[in-house]
Amino acid sequence: MILISKRDFLRASAAAAALGAAGRARAQEMPAHERTLHEAARREGELTWYSGQYNAETSEAVGRAFTERYAGVRVNVVRSTSQVAFQRLSQDTRAGVAQCDVFSSTDFGHYSLLKRENRLLQYRPVNDEQLLPQLRRADPDGYYHTSFMGLYLMAHNTTKVSEADAPKKWTDVLDPRWRDQLAVGHPGFSGAIGIWAVQMRKMYGWDYFTRLERNRPQIGRSSMDPVTGLNAGERSVGIAVPSGTTLLSAQRGNPLRLIYPEEGVLATLSPSAIPRNAPHPNAAKLFMEFTASRYLSDTIRQTFGDPINPMVEPPPGSRAINDLKLIYPTQEEAERGVPEVRELWRDTFGV
Amino acid sequence: MSDGVLPRVTPRSSFRARLRNFEPITLLWLLLAAVLLVLVAFPLIKLLISSFETREGVFTLGNYATAYGRARYIDALFNSLKLGALSASIAVLLAVPMAWAVSRTDMPGKGFTWAMVMAAFVMPPYLGAVGWILLAGPNSGFLNITWRAITGASDPLFNVYSFAGLATVIALHSFPLVFIFVKSALDLVSSEMEDAANILGAGTFATMRKVTLPLVWPAILGGFIIVFLETIALFGTPAIIGIPARINVVTTQLWQFFEYPVRMEVAAAYAMPLLLITIAMIGVQKLMLSRKGFVSQTGKGGERRQIKLGAWRWALFGWCGLVGTLSVLLPLLVLLQASFAKAWGRGLSLDNLTIRNYRLLLFEHEMALTSVWNTIWFSAAAATIALVLALLVAYIAVRRLSRFADALGFLAMAPFVIPGIVMAIGFYAAYASPPLALYGTALLIILAFAARFLPIAYANANAAMRAVHPEMEEAVRILGGGRLTAIRHVTAPLVKKALLGGWLIVFIVASRELSAAVFLVGPRTRTMSVLLYDLSEAGNFEVLAAFGGILLVVTMVFVAIGMKLAGRDFMLRRH
Repeated sequence: MILISKRDFLRASAAAAALGAAGRARAQEMPAHERTLHEAARREGELTWYSGQYNAETSEAVGRAFTERYAGVRVNVVRSTSQVAFQRLSQDTRAGVAQCDVFSSTDFGHYSLLKRENRLLQYRPVNDEQLLPQLRRADPDGYYHTSFMGLYLMAHNTTKVSEADAPKKWTDVLDPRWRDQLAVGHPGFSGAIGIWAVQMRKMYGWDYFTRLERNRPQIGRSSMDPVTGLNAGERSVGIAVPSGTTLLSAQRGNPLRLIYPEEGVLATLSPSAIPRNAPHPNAAKLFMEFTASRYLSDTIRQTFGDPINPMVEPPPGSRAINDLKLIYPTQEEAERGVPEVRELWRDTFGV
Repeated sequence: MSDGVLPRVTPRSSFRARLRNFEPITLLWLLLAAVLLVLVAFPLIKLLISSFETREGVFTLGNYATAYGRARYIDALFNSLKLGALSASIAVLLAVPMAWAVSRTDMPGKGFTWAMVMAAFVMPPYLGAVGWILLAGPNSGFLNITWRAITGASDPLFNVYSFAGLATVIALHSFPLVFIFVKSALDLVSSEMEDAANILGAGTFATMRKVTLPLVWPAILGGFIIVFLETIALFGTPAIIGIPARINVVTTQLWQFFEYPVRMEVAAAYAMPLLLITIAMIGVQKLMLSRKGFVSQTGKGGERRQIKLGAWRWALFGWCGLVGTLSVLLPLLVLLQASFAKAWGRGLSLDNLTIRNYRLLLFEHEMALTSVWNTIWFSAAAATIALVLALLVAYIAVRRLSRFADALGFLAMAPFVIPGIVMAIGFYAAYASPPLALYGTALLIILAFAARFLPIAYANANAAMRAVHPEMEEAVRILGGGRLTAIRHVTAPLVKKALLGGWLIVFIVASRELSAAVFLVGPRTRTMSVLLYDLSEAGNFEVLAAFGGILLVVTMVFVAIGMKLAGRDFMLRRH
């Protein structure tokens, strides 16, 4: 049947690509522990990555970079917002079907929940020691490991708002003069917006959002949606937008500028984990080694992602993490708080 | 189990007698009934049962209490009803003058109007929604920018992020349904009835208002109801436009019940009104039409002349052109622009042109091409299954080969009243979990598509079957051929062309299906529509538009094949 011939074709072309990549991969040093895992992973052939961390373009690049380094192991990239990724994982669990090998969410509250429900595989990547010191050992028991450092700030369209007029603090956007000019993502979809909402509530109470609502912000789904709106001039100021996607967009010619809020930059130091029932556990473990290694950081830096491995410099235009004041809720606050703020949000904003 | 243990209930002789009278066709309809039960009845029954159960399977009314326990959830229900009514009304306003013009008058540019209607039908609604965001975003939409530049006004001409905006965008992609219904009804009204009105002194427009349109009232009502039902079951457009516009509807609310922890039972309870509303609407339609006569077709045939409109024909053509521009040309234009742009907000300029978006999708995106392939083969498989089933059921029903023929026909038409999203949740409830564990498999999606579009296939097959008189088959049988021989050599060739058209329609509507697919896909079985939905929350309209372009090219290829093989108007015939 046609289906089979197509699959054969894909396999053949993957094999052809692998041959080319294999030469390059061999040229690069591969430590012993990765080589062993690679052997096992190659037999599994692929892994499925549910991810809400890096943007779509970067996630695809990460998948390709992984296969290039570890020939013969393909990555099925399933990129969505973090809550949608979690929804997919929950639907899998509910149906009793194992499809996901690596789960990556910006809402780090997901991981304490999954760990408590005993749904994660214990594995500590050897390469975890290579991460930035503050990112190592995300879980003392080794059920999940940092794979993403998301910085969420504000941004403005420079043709609509001058640098002098732009808001400086998270609370500045509550000023009525920003009515109909703001854009923000949605905590029901974006994990990072959920974390941000928990943090804002912690700092200013829910009143922050009832006042924000009076300014009628445009609500998207992803934390990146405001960037699209700013590019087009639909809105002037984006709240809690990711630094990477904003810088990438600015580099492509859009009139954008990042604002580092005075209270601090929201950081999601977010892990990835392997579900206990992952169908390709060795490939998943190898992927964990990859995320901690310099190769992931190299790849994401090309699209202005913030490296998590100290061997890689921050991308141009981004400030080094040590120069920033970072704010974030604790993991317990996130796990308990995100579902709460999601409901409150829907009551306040109507969607 | 041995024979000795089992009591003999049936006497042997009577069993033998039955066996002697047994016709293979009995086996066929038993098989068909089983398949229809699996495809249509079981998911619905399972849905109904789950709505009254806890996760552990204990009876409860708690799901209904949860589903209707919050004002927000009930608001969503009313929003859906309002949205359905408004969209359907707009669709009727758009389509009825077009249908009248094409069917009854000497308006120029009928070919163009046909093409526009067809294109609006083929274009997936969520893609049109993206196009309209680019066109009518209050500050950045091209239409509003142009409007402000010309008039100097500060308010936008049209805000897509509003209730009216959402309803209009939906109507712009569902009006072809009304058009198809009304036009085919108008084609049957003979000019004599209009002549009678003219002789008694009524002008062209009075005649249209008082004679022609009332005669096709059932078709208008039918079109209205279809658009209403399509609208309340729509997921993509409300998700893309409704969230920024702060409008929550039933389908987006259903999606929320699938958030962690997955509350499938609550979703089932919440979906029930959607089902009841649909059934009620069909009932209302029957009731409203039952007490009046709408016979416009008599045995006498009757003449059908084109009404000469004079200068008015240009006004009507203008209307058709306007609808075509708004529903097809403008959205296509902006999507095309965005798909070739580095940053779509910078508009048309040479240094803004790029093919990077297409390159990314075609060569660097792991899933894009696979999803194209998935879409094609899922839709093809579903269309084939639906059509084979429909054909067999139609054969039994039309030839009256079984006492249960009507029941089979009813089951085949039943999915018509089940919103796609409800059906998907039913399929999830019934087949996702072990023992079948079909979640994430291609089979689950194919079966759901086949079930969802079975009524289209059945209506097609039934009409085709009716057109073939049994005497031709009887001739074969008199000459000693079996029924299957007769079907293969006589019936099948005769209905081939009609069925091909039916197959293609199912294929095309399946290839743009989102609301059912979004709940059933797995990582390797994502279709183009689902990937497009995923891309729509990735903050990158340029790539999204490029993927929309690819989707349209794929669809167009199949439409072209359809026009070549099954006739130019194969999508717009009413079956």
